[in-house]
Amino acid sequence: MTYRIGSAQGYYGDDVTRALPMITGEHVDVVCFEALAELTLAILQKDRLGNPDKGYTFDIRIIASSILPEAFARKIPLITNGGGLNPISAAKMVYQTAQKLGLHGLKIAAVTGDDLMPVIFDLPAKGESLTNLDTGENLDFEHGGMLVNANVYIGAQPIVEALKAGADIVITGRVADPCLYLAPLIAHYGWDWADWDKLASGIVCGHLLECTGQVVGGNSLAVIDTIPATDLHRLGYPIAHVEADGSFIITKTPNTAGIVNTNTVKEQLIYEIHDPANYLTPDVIANFTTLKLEQIGENQVKVSGVTGKPRPEKLKLVMGRLEGYMRELIFTVGYPQAWKKVDIMKQMIESTWQDLAIDRIEYSYLGMNSLYGGISELPQDPPEIAIRVMFTAKDEDTLKNAVRLMMTNGLSGPAGMGISGSTVSASPRAILGLWSTLVNRDYVVPNIDFMTVE
Amino acid sequence: MGKKLYDLAFGRAGDKGNISNISVIARSSEAYAEIKTKLTAERVKAHFGDMVKGDVVRYELDNIEALNFVLYDALDGGGTRSLRVDTLGKSLAGALLYMDWE
Repeated sequence: MTYRIGSAQGYYGDDVTRALPMITGEHVDVVCFEALAELTLAILQKDRLGNPDKGYTFDIRIIASSILPEAFARKIPLITNGGGLNPISAAKMVYQTAQKLGLHGLKIAAVTGDDLMPVIFDLPAKGESLTNLDTGENLDFEHGGMLVNANVYIGAQPIVEALKAGADIVITGRVADPCLYLAPLIAHYGWDWADWDKLASGIVCGHLLECTGQVVGGNSLAVIDTIPATDLHRLGYPIAHVEADGSFIITKTPNTAGIVNTNTVKEQLIYEIHDPANYLTPDVIANFTTLKLEQIGENQVKVSGVTGKPRPEKLKLVMGRLEGYMRELIFTVGYPQAWKKVDIMKQMIESTWQDLAIDRIEYSYLGMNSLYGGISELPQDPPEIAIRVMFTAKDEDTLKNAVRLMMTNGLSGPAGMGISGSTVSASPRAILGLWSTLVNRDYVVPNIDFMTVE
Repeated sequence: MGKKLYDLAFGRAGDKGNISNISVIARSSEAYAEIKTKLTAERVKAHFGDMVKGDVVRYELDNIEALNFVLYDALDGGGTRSLRVDTLGKSLAGALLYMDWE
């Protein structure tokens, strides 16, 4: 019997209510919600610092109040990693909401164990070098910014256990994105943990689903000329029909907007991967170079032939560190002598700030070179130039001071300049440095807490 | 405007930390043969100039007639540090497809 997985979230803030037509139409057997980008946990830490009961994504509130009642009525389990840094508090919130809604017998599972903050400072003494995966540098806890979070990408195993125990909603922290989708397949089909080709198929399936709109026509050059612009805000999110042998069909919620074809699937297949023959996940290494894509019907692409290799020995750990703050100002100058005015502004900025502890100043010209840098040719004598100034400091006050000092130049600057009020009143933004490394699996012990609504 | 890489292919860019990856997906088998021969990692590295400080590595996916370029030290420190407008480098596929193609 074909098993159907719906995907209704690709990032913190996505429209999770796209799960509703999947569920009420009974087009799915499970729905997964992937909420955590690389930097999301560092953002959630700010919430948790302000209130120890927070640190999970607010989307879970919408899932609990609007989606869970419909799913529970049809016995369709929901899986989300939106528990972020605090799956337990998220589970408690879901429990309270479910109780108010009278969802008697609803079983909630909260998966923890990915958060290594409690032990992180002990790891170097145990022989973990925490070497930066990208740069090869060794981690120095003393310098380089305050540690904000340290979370390991864990695999599908605790979700599989929770589903087998009858959970109606599974709330996790940093489970690797595609493993959220692999988990219900293992629970349903009973795939062996060493059946690498099947596990890899589940990973490719999850990878194709995990960015929701991106496989059904969103963020796509493949269908830019064929998909109606008025459909993009209401794309029907993707569904996979998976067979016991691991092969699957990617499609979308029936009777909704969107396009699924081999080109939209190719775009998503190669999205955010490095070596396509070695896509690393906690549960398996997937090979994308043996698979075959076939358009077998309208909005239906079959994927088969995925192969896999044994899982990697170590797990990926990502730490976030607060390195400072950044601020943006935009000044727009016009004809005549627009480039001359740009030079004047740059010199004014740098002399105004010469006594401040500003770390970096970067300039770009919006609409001219702000995306493609040196690839773009700059016009010789344009009617206008928008100068975007980005500057950084270790603390917020230095940046506020820098803006105030620039504003005292209001009547002294180059002739006829526009300054948008919204850039002047904006706030500094935190600079969070991400540090990726590998750790031994022994430090990561997943735990599941169950709560059942009376 | 003359011929561009976009006439032969489309693609999408993604990010992991300070590393960008750009897919180049051929519009036909003939186009794939052409870009596989001519669109080398060195050529991509030269095209990006200062924007990409590290190496460029090319991977081939013959099964779907596409290339994947991995650009190291390419995102001004990565999404949470970058001072660029496009902190995640989502636009970089377009930057590559803008390449003049003879």
